[in-house]
Amino acid sequence: MQQYKKSQYKLILVLVGLPARGKTHISYKLNRYLNWIGYKSEIFSIKGAQQNNTQLDQNIDYELEIDPTNQQFAEVRQQLSFTAAQELVSFLQSDGDIALYNGLTSTKLDRQKLKSLFKEKLKLEYQVFWIESICDDPQVILNNINESKLSRFKDQTIEQFMNYINVLAQNYESLENIENLSYIKLINIGKLVKVHMLEGYLCSKIVSFLLNLHANNRQIYLVRSCQTEYHQLDKIGGDPELSITGKQNSQQLGDYFIEELKGNKNITFFTSQMKRGIQTAEIVGDKLGIKALKTKNLDEIDYGICDGLTVKEIAAKYPKQIKERKANPLEFKYPRGESFLDVIHRVEPIIYEIERSREPVLIIAHVAVLKCLYAYYHCNQINEIPNIDIPINCVIKLVPIPYHCLESRVIIK
Amino acid sequence: MQGCNRSQKIAICTVGLPARGKTYISRKLNRYFNWLGYKSRVFINGNYRREICGTECNSLFFDPHNEEAQKARSDCAKMALQDLIQFLKNGGDVGILDGTNITKERRHQIENELKSSFNGIQTLWIESICNDSKVIQNNIRLTKINNPDYCNMNSEQATIDFLNRIKMYEQIYETITDDENLSYIKTMNVGADIIVHQVFGFLLSKIVSFIMNLHTYPRPIYLSRHGESQYNVDDRVGGDSDLSQLGEMYADKLADFFYQEFPTKEIKNDIIFLTSTMRRAVHTSDVVAQKLEIQPLQLKTLDEINVGICDGMTYTEIAQKFPNDFQERKINKLGYRYPRGESYLDLISRIEPVIFEIERSRQPVMIIAHQAILRCLYAYFHQNEIPEVPTLDIPLHCVIKLTPAAYFCDEKRVLINPQTGEISIKEEYVQEFVRSKSKQKSFIDL
Repeated sequence: MQQYKKSQYKLILVLVGLPARGKTHISYKLNRYLNWIGYKSEIFSIKGAQQNNTQLDQNIDYELEIDPTNQQFAEVRQQLSFTAAQELVSFLQSDGDIALYNGLTSTKLDRQKLKSLFKEKLKLEYQVFWIESICDDPQVILNNINESKLSRFKDQTIEQFMNYINVLAQNYESLENIENLSYIKLINIGKLVKVHMLEGYLCSKIVSFLLNLHANNRQIYLVRSCQTEYHQLDKIGGDPELSITGKQNSQQLGDYFIEELKGNKNITFFTSQMKRGIQTAEIVGDKLGIKALKTKNLDEIDYGICDGLTVKEIAAKYPKQIKERKANPLEFKYPRGESFLDVIHRVEPIIYEIERSREPVLIIAHVAVLKCLYAYYHCNQINEIPNIDIPINCVIKLVPIPYHCLESRVIIK
Repeated sequence: MQGCNRSQKIAICTVGLPARGKTYISRKLNRYFNWLGYKSRVFINGNYRREICGTECNSLFFDPHNEEAQKARSDCAKMALQDLIQFLKNGGDVGILDGTNITKERRHQIENELKSSFNGIQTLWIESICNDSKVIQNNIRLTKINNPDYCNMNSEQATIDFLNRIKMYEQIYETITDDENLSYIKTMNVGADIIVHQVFGFLLSKIVSFIMNLHTYPRPIYLSRHGESQYNVDDRVGGDSDLSQLGEMYADKLADFFYQEFPTKEIKNDIIFLTSTMRRAVHTSDVVAQKLEIQPLQLKTLDEINVGICDGMTYTEIAQKFPNDFQERKINKLGYRYPRGESYLDLISRIEPVIFEIERSRQPVMIIAHQAILRCLYAYFHQNEIPEVPTLDIPLHCVIKLTPAAYFCDEKRVLINPQTGEISIKEEYVQEFVRSKSKQKSFIDL
């Protein structure tokens, strides 16, 4: 997908930071975002290298194994870090676009060695951007540990883990300008951010994205606009109004959200500028006492010349297009209309809005648009998008948590 | 995205020594906000001082020990702040206070005044720091020498006096520290280093991205419509028609023009070349691309305005079939939305990412697109008022070269005869200070 220049150069994003600073969380979110907007992106970490190496004991966490005096573990860790870097190089040498590296980077020397490795092994133009996460707020660190580390630790207590981090901290060297690296430092989850030598379209985008991240686990509700007469006639597209059933269903939707949101009026509430979206949102909004923001970005996919036709009519009139769409549903563009890739691009600002919001988010929109939004949170590959099921009269509730996204669906009847 | 949370007022205050680009940043931000549909205004401390204390102020006026002058300057600054507060109270969305504000005490006073005047106002402090003497000298040369303060001095005297003025400020300069508990952005040496502290919120996040990408490289932006299309000939709107014969000739001549314009390979490889996904633009771009041996990027974002149900009709047919819409559009061309289509306001919102990209670029930009789209792009860089957008003159077979500079935008129009290749050039230099529409009553209105 060419939204902007598929960079002439490859991009390496290197994560730096003590344990429980959210490096894995950041790399996971960034990787998801970059893949969603069309780049081939992958994470290379000590953990990943360990999982690929069947000879190693998978029960030991080499990334975090606590005993700092254990020389053997330290050696294995070094080796895994090196392996991850090599795999990264192979990935970029072939068809990878962006690689995220989560290995040994805590000292100036580590970083120097990494830079040299890239210089020596990468036979094409590349850019490296360093992302450091720093935290001195003990509450935040505790939260991070609780949310993500404890599940990986069977024997250690939080206290032991904190002690371990303190030992590591003694040798930790934060990024400095003298190292001549292009970087961003995120301090206490974005309360303070420092950027040095920012260059390039992609890095700019990544910085904007990182500025919006936070650690609040808030709910995201995705709902389709309710029934219209087009549904009854099996027509696609158009800008029809809600049918009587549709209006009733919207009322029930409103009742559901009264229960669900428990009086919270600070939610982020978006809908499209299509009549069915606006009407559904008005009925729901009236019940909740809030108004939705209407944005054209959430309008349904443009069906071009097929707009307003029934499925049968399209099959009869445009068999060639039906074939094309079956062959490549993700990239297929309705003549004079849009493809899913166009919709992803159109909907990207909404993703920023959702990420930025620390309050629950409610989005009332349409099938294709919701598929793209859903895919951002749930799919590893965008070619899954056309097959996602977004039924009508169904509230999809997503709660993104570290490394994961919880989902539940409620049918409203 | 337009329309996000209009209820919250925003006040932006600059901080920094003279010649650090504060006014440049203020104006750019002001432009950006007005463009997105917010009511925004800049309040320049310096202009209040000029109005009230006169322009015959040499550097001694700025001596921090000159009590009388200090009082006068302080009063002027208070007036500027009061005007900003009034503006926000009377329907303004964003007020930008352009001043040095280099002491903790001053910042504290302003922050308190703002917070106590409004419930839930968002304040943002932007400090511009620069230690590069070359950049500072350049800033002085570009913006200060023509400053009303120095109308009676030659440029050498003016520079010396101005450098003295800066020294006065340096004596009491206190950079923003975290314990002041302000939301701030510090930009150092034109963006080489940026620090963001406690900045949250939709608009404020956008400002951070915007500032991170600001620069003062005077790079050219070339805008051209596709060559004449079949629909142009038939006088129809919309559609995805191909080039007419004349249009194809234009594509050739356009390629020749750009070939002359970008002589070396280095320059060519550096160009940002954008076009839409519509046939007429793609074909025009392909001809140019072949001659220059570079690849254009086809963006749907640059597709012509969607005319919905009127697609493929002539204006006469529209007038006959949809007389009410035809009338509506005549009255409000800016906000009128074609049924199932778009309005100019939708377009402005749609092309925002492209504008952002162009702002960011330090290389020449070349865009081959469509009339309505180019009207929007042109208006942004040329600082036209939004209501003017739908009627701007962007003719066929004409390359418009814009070179935005600190406070103005150079324009050169190259009309190319598609048949003969003959070129006629029209140059226009529009200085912001002398825009004819505002009869300058006082400095404060600038």
